[in-house]
Amino acid sequence: MVDTYNKTHPGVVVEFVQVPGSETDVAKLMTAVRGGTGPDVYQLDRFTVAQRAAAGVLEDLTAIVQKKDANLSSKYLPFAWAETQYKGHTYALPFDTDSRVLYYNKDMIKAAGFDPEMFNPKNGPLTIDQIKQISQKIDKTDANGNYTQVGFIPYDTTFSQGWHYTWGFVFGGKFADLNAMKVTPTDPGVVKAFQFMKDWAAMMGPQKVQTFISTYSPPNPPPEQHPFLIGKVAMMVSGDWVLNSIKQYTPNLNYGVTYIPIPEKGATPQTWSGGWSFVIPTGSKHVAAAYDFISWMTGPEGQKMYTVGSSHMPTYKALLDDDSLYEGNHKFFKQLLANSNSRPPLPVGGLYWDALTQAQNGVTLKQVDPMQALQQAYDTVQPQLDQAK
Amino acid sequence: MEIRDLTAFFYTRGGNGMTHSSRRNLRNGLIFVSPWIFGFIAFQIYPILYSLWLSFTRYSGFGKPIIIGFQNFQQLFKDPLFWKSAYNTLYYTLLAVPVGVVVAIVLALAMNQKVKEVSIYRAILYVPSILPIFALSFVWVVFSNPRFGLLNLIGQGIGLPVIDWIGDPKWNKLSIVLLAQLGAGGPALIFLAGIRAIPSELFDSAQIDGANVFQRFFKITLPLITPIILYDIILGLSMGLQIFTQAYILTGGGSSGANTAGPDNSLLFYVFYVYKSAFQYTQMGYASALVWVFFIVSMGIALAVFRWAKAWVNYDVE
Repeated sequence: MVDTYNKTHPGVVVEFVQVPGSETDVAKLMTAVRGGTGPDVYQLDRFTVAQRAAAGVLEDLTAIVQKKDANLSSKYLPFAWAETQYKGHTYALPFDTDSRVLYYNKDMIKAAGFDPEMFNPKNGPLTIDQIKQISQKIDKTDANGNYTQVGFIPYDTTFSQGWHYTWGFVFGGKFADLNAMKVTPTDPGVVKAFQFMKDWAAMMGPQKVQTFISTYSPPNPPPEQHPFLIGKVAMMVSGDWVLNSIKQYTPNLNYGVTYIPIPEKGATPQTWSGGWSFVIPTGSKHVAAAYDFISWMTGPEGQKMYTVGSSHMPTYKALLDDDSLYEGNHKFFKQLLANSNSRPPLPVGGLYWDALTQAQNGVTLKQVDPMQALQQAYDTVQPQLDQAK
Repeated sequence: MEIRDLTAFFYTRGGNGMTHSSRRNLRNGLIFVSPWIFGFIAFQIYPILYSLWLSFTRYSGFGKPIIIGFQNFQQLFKDPLFWKSAYNTLYYTLLAVPVGVVVAIVLALAMNQKVKEVSIYRAILYVPSILPIFALSFVWVVFSNPRFGLLNLIGQGIGLPVIDWIGDPKWNKLSIVLLAQLGAGGPALIFLAGIRAIPSELFDSAQIDGANVFQRFFKITLPLITPIILYDIILGLSMGLQIFTQAYILTGGGSSGANTAGPDNSLLFYVFYVYKSAFQYTQMGYASALVWVFFIVSMGIALAVFRWAKAWVNYDVE
């Protein structure tokens, strides 16, 4: 994509540098910007924009957006645009988005004596209890009692997307009150979600699940050995980027995608969306050129290229109507976008995420009481949020 | 005994008694080492003092630090992750240092065997410690896989149950202790030098007196290498307390989904937490406070070790 931009925009040369680190780890950016050698453009996980803006790492784009295109905000999905804002100012342009579904391996479900057709989205979402029954039939252990294959680990976050946010939204939880600037991890829906994860872990054996994960999804794993791709896991919650891995590594995998299971019959299926954004770090000496580049990347042309090439979805609304961009299963993800959830854009978004993850770890692995774990997350994050206000 | 010589140098020649040429020598000497002095002030003294000042502020790394007095330190003692990371680090260090000393001595003894191929053995035993620790860590992930890893294949061979060396909070710190032993070749060389420096007459006369190999080791070798043991303990302490890389890689610090440091933060070591505070949560002030508490506690531990060492380190033979 960068090559295309460079070819079509003479006079400006963009160099693409990949940096390591998880979504909330921006050590390299921080030190580079502080040292005066920061990049002119950076790709940042969108839900951390408010946090980085609060820390002063990002250039305020409000004026330049206003000057170039006053209607820009209306061209993007509302939640995506909301994530680029901090205190009413624009600090980023939204790039791609995604949504989460339940992937299921048809062969493994058939082998366990169930009809995979019941998973077909046409028949509506399955309940958590139904999935539990199927999952238990698929679990297999070896002579030592360790799992060699599993049906579903709803709370796994190493190879799938069983995050606190996923199940919190499924159980109707609210994670923050943006008007009062409060995080609300002890919201009844969130607590219910954590209780669900705790019970599931107790059912499977917390340490045995952990050992399964260490075995089949060790740290820094090669992508082609993903446990769903090699048929070690029959169901998982994950996003549309997996479509690409399957196509690339295991094109013959007999799988399908459907709604994330619902707590009880009649509930509306839920999902959530994240995605990336482009920002200009403070201290950039080429703000105008950088803005030109990021508005191209996040505009119709750039996002179209990215959608086709990556099996991610655009946040640029006009592109969502163009069905030719989405093949096969990808259409289902796109359809979910209309009613998707997103994480609250808080200036402590990264910290909150980590605190929730820690609570989830305690609840599943150590079987801590959900209320207690979530209260601790509140105690960690709220004082920081008060400071950032 | 370098320090004693240096003080002697300043006492006898320093001050008014300096001759013209020695004063010139001193000046030239200072000019020659001035790059180092400048670097030391700019890159060591200044950042250290700056971090002390930062520890009394709230600072994201950008904008102006806001002075908040002792708030960071008060918050620190209420912070469960502070206690967790301190516990993890002490647990690791108290395990890794003694194990490290024993392994290094055993390696040194092995390297000291009087066989023809000893140089080959020395090379084999030393080679793993040449590898950078981050490379070893990646290898270790494969080694310690619960189902396919060599570690568990050996373990099962001698009748141990399957151990999850990465994902089980009870075992994964021990796993890093084992990993650290791959670097034992360095200290082992120093022990080897120490053992070879022991006069062979001592062993010969002990042997004539009928001392067996264990008596010779515990009565001669061990007492005479106690200064090296102390050195190794201090070095091990400082490396152990600052452990970071292994945990960062074994918890997939570079890949997504790794937002806690191992299951239940079981590999959240102190320096790892400092790193997270500073660069992920952009709390430079809080991170500086963490570092200063760490510095004071480490100094305390080092002093305690030196004091304790007086009871058992043998300085008679040098």
